[in-house]
Amino acid sequence: MQKFKVTFFPDNLSVTVEQDKTILSAAISAGVYINSSCGGDGICGRCKVVVKQGRVNSQPNGIITAQERKNNVYLACLTTIHSDLDVFVPDSSRINFDKLTPEELEERLSGLYSKSEDVLPAQENFEDKFFKHSPFATKIYLELPEPTLNDSVSDLERLYRALRNFGEFPAIETGLFNIRQLGELLRDYAWKVTVTLGRRNDAVEIVLIEPGDTTGTNFGLCFDIGTTTISGQLVNLNSKKILGTKATYNQQAAFGSDVITRIVYAAKTDGLEKLHNAVSDTMNQIIKDLVSECQVDLNNVNCIVCSGNTTMIHLFLNMDPSHIRRQPYVPTANFIPVLRASEAGININPRGLLSCVPGVSSYVGGDITAGILSSRIYQKEAPCILIDIGTNGEIVLGNRDFLVACAASAGPAFEGSGVTSGMRASSGAIQKVSINKDDFAVKYSTIQDKLPKGICGSGYIDLLSEMLKVGIIDKAGKIKAEGRRIRTTDTGKEFVVCFKEDIRSQADIVINEADIENLKRSKGAIYSACAILVKHLDLEFSAVHTIFIAGGFGTYLDIEKAINIGLLPDLPHSKFIFIGNSSLAGSREVLLSNQAKTMADSLALKITYFELSVNPEYMEEYSQALFFPHTDLTKFPTVKF
Amino acid sequence: METQIVLEKWPGVISTVSIGATKAEGGTRSNVVKIGGQTAMPLLFREGVIPNKPKIAFEIWDIAPLDFDEELLCAYGKAIRDPFAWAEVCVNDYKAELLCLKMQGTHPDFGNKTPQDAAKFVSTLLHKVKVPLVILGSGDDFKDNLVMPVCSEAAKGERCLIGCAVQENYKTLVASVLADGHNIIAESPIDINIAKQLNILISDMGLALERIAINPTIGALGYGLEYAYSIMERARLAALSGDKTLASPFICFVGQETWKTKEAKVSPQQGIIWETLTATSLIQSGADLLVMRHPQAARNVSKHIEALFRE
Repeated sequence: MQKFKVTFFPDNLSVTVEQDKTILSAAISAGVYINSSCGGDGICGRCKVVVKQGRVNSQPNGIITAQERKNNVYLACLTTIHSDLDVFVPDSSRINFDKLTPEELEERLSGLYSKSEDVLPAQENFEDKFFKHSPFATKIYLELPEPTLNDSVSDLERLYRALRNFGEFPAIETGLFNIRQLGELLRDYAWKVTVTLGRRNDAVEIVLIEPGDTTGTNFGLCFDIGTTTISGQLVNLNSKKILGTKATYNQQAAFGSDVITRIVYAAKTDGLEKLHNAVSDTMNQIIKDLVSECQVDLNNVNCIVCSGNTTMIHLFLNMDPSHIRRQPYVPTANFIPVLRASEAGININPRGLLSCVPGVSSYVGGDITAGILSSRIYQKEAPCILIDIGTNGEIVLGNRDFLVACAASAGPAFEGSGVTSGMRASSGAIQKVSINKDDFAVKYSTIQDKLPKGICGSGYIDLLSEMLKVGIIDKAGKIKAEGRRIRTTDTGKEFVVCFKEDIRSQADIVINEADIENLKRSKGAIYSACAILVKHLDLEFSAVHTIFIAGGFGTYLDIEKAINIGLLPDLPHSKFIFIGNSSLAGSREVLLSNQAKTMADSLALKITYFELSVNPEYMEEYSQALFFPHTDLTKFPTVKF
Repeated sequence: METQIVLEKWPGVISTVSIGATKAEGGTRSNVVKIGGQTAMPLLFREGVIPNKPKIAFEIWDIAPLDFDEELLCAYGKAIRDPFAWAEVCVNDYKAELLCLKMQGTHPDFGNKTPQDAAKFVSTLLHKVKVPLVILGSGDDFKDNLVMPVCSEAAKGERCLIGCAVQENYKTLVASVLADGHNIIAESPIDINIAKQLNILISDMGLALERIAINPTIGALGYGLEYAYSIMERARLAALSGDKTLASPFICFVGQETWKTKEAKVSPQQGIIWETLTATSLIQSGADLLVMRHPQAARNVSKHIEALFRE
């Protein structure tokens, strides 16, 4: 097979690939990240590149316009390589893998923008002292009595005996590696050692034996593995102090933007391996950054707890996810036993342990268990709702007596995928919008006040609400007004949010009727899932005490506008609490407390999974929700347009 | 022992749509046809007030019909070749209370008459017959948006019922109906949610909910009639329970649906029976205005209505 050299500009990165490979796969090999929301099916049109030199072969598609064809624009995923190539990758086709800035993180992880004032930062909601401090890994300093003729038990038994003085351990185990070095270690260091104990399923494992007293340096990690964003925290297990938090985009995005596309990709040759590597690479990068910034020795990081949706956990652990998407939707495992982190390719102490917060079903994962844990809805007397809004919207309704969860396929529109000018909530994303009712002039603000590059989920909520308010769109989501900013294209009408001249960009930032339809379906799916769950339990929304909103979506959410478009039920704003990344908070609790871990296990067993797809009423509810705010206006009495 | 009959009481009321304006009201119609206004499910006279009987409108076109069955053509004789004569036969011979005029000739594939010609036709028809009018576009959205505003204007003040507004194309029609003082038909594809949404969208433009008639889209007997039946029943139950956005009378296009079926074409009698049965079934589910084609079927249904309301 002939091989060709492909060079990507302006990166000037080259890679040699076989003939007939696609430009997209060459880009992945070269480490150039090109957008590909559809996973390389030629549907999303996000991977446009310019072939400056060389011969290619491209499948026909309806996405490249005649003008673009003249300019040698191709879809990277449908274009195969037939000679050495020079390829230019425009900014608009790139995935922005920049790490989140501290400010962005601040907002992402704790909180929260809302026009209404009733917003609590994440930490306040999580009573720190609730669970007894009993971290996943504990260090104990031991001074062993030297053996004598009267006390001649073996070195290992001597160690066990000393440990038992600290408590009733069900069973203690350790690896051969530790036993081999034990004799010499004890004698060299005057019988003074520190053992690191890890909880491993029902036993206690001696993870590590070190000379002297090192109890002061015991660290752990917690992670939220999201479909879009991966967040990690480094925690001092002795003081419970959070030393650092970092988040970055999940590099799996290069293989598709939603879990289903990724499951499909995993079935391709080497697909699962690539997805697994993408997530473990991302996590290792975060870990590396955290330990170096906090000046912590990697060898003192002894354990890690992860939560994520069921698919993400499967991909992270390199387990086959294919049955998740096939009826009857059965995952390989919901409860993952404690493993060695190195088995999952995570670089911490080579003998360090890994635990995953247990999931409930294929579409309600450990992130939800963690969310329930950290929001404490399982303790509340009055029924509460937890909404975790992501590509799969997950909803939990319950209190201390019961917990019912369902998952609604909301689609990635609110995460900025599958919409014309959509982008993730990162630097340069429009997040707040107001529109003048007379001339439709748009006022907006962007994340970090950069020039706008696109619109993120919260920006879309504001935009829809404002467009309804000033009468640009009707309640069905069709553009009805006319003006300088409204124009008709081949695909229908669109509203120009920013003209390209004003933002020094190649393209206008627009929202068209198809985008609105997409967003309408997303908000409809989430609202109707909540409504069905409430109805199924014979409750009314008014009986719900508090609604916790979690997820990257809730980051800059304006409650009033979210109610205006019918995403959230019309309740007093004081009933809504944004809890930011509840999955990360929950996994931190599991990291720090064995009680929390036991609680998470029992919660995952206690949660009743409610399958919406077999519920005949869901379609009916969903159809009613495909209107702004809702076909039944009496459900949204405070919304007036 | 006397049997106790349980009666439902409904809080809602279906709005009354008046079609046609007499001289006193600024129009030139000889009579006004009222539909709707009931406070009970169909024919349950003891549960509420049912002030208006279901009405029948005769369907006519602005051109000689192209695909009508032989049986239908025979019923009108030579008159069917001249739309005005056709209209007069309906009114004079078959005592039509109102006419439903379809502007089929404006369709790009069926003559492509100009909006001006269409408007002229409406003016002339209004002059020749004095019964109230329902006016329908040809079904081509683009052309209808050119034709219907001028037809509406030509009939200004006559309080016609004009249709059909659909979710994808309602603004132009609503604006005309508002300007010229007519009522509107809101058409939804056998979907209670879209019916409701369209009513909201229309009322958002300033046209009162009381000036809307719902076309729920029906199928003829054997062609989905029961589906339409249940949608109409559900909508009516919701309306009587107090949902104002669904409290509009129903207009059902019985003739056009019936005569499409192959059963209607089997024999002269069977077509008439098919149209009669489709219409009478729809009356059970709440139809207020039946648009029919065959005069004999219309007569059958009219007799049936009289019998039902004889109490």
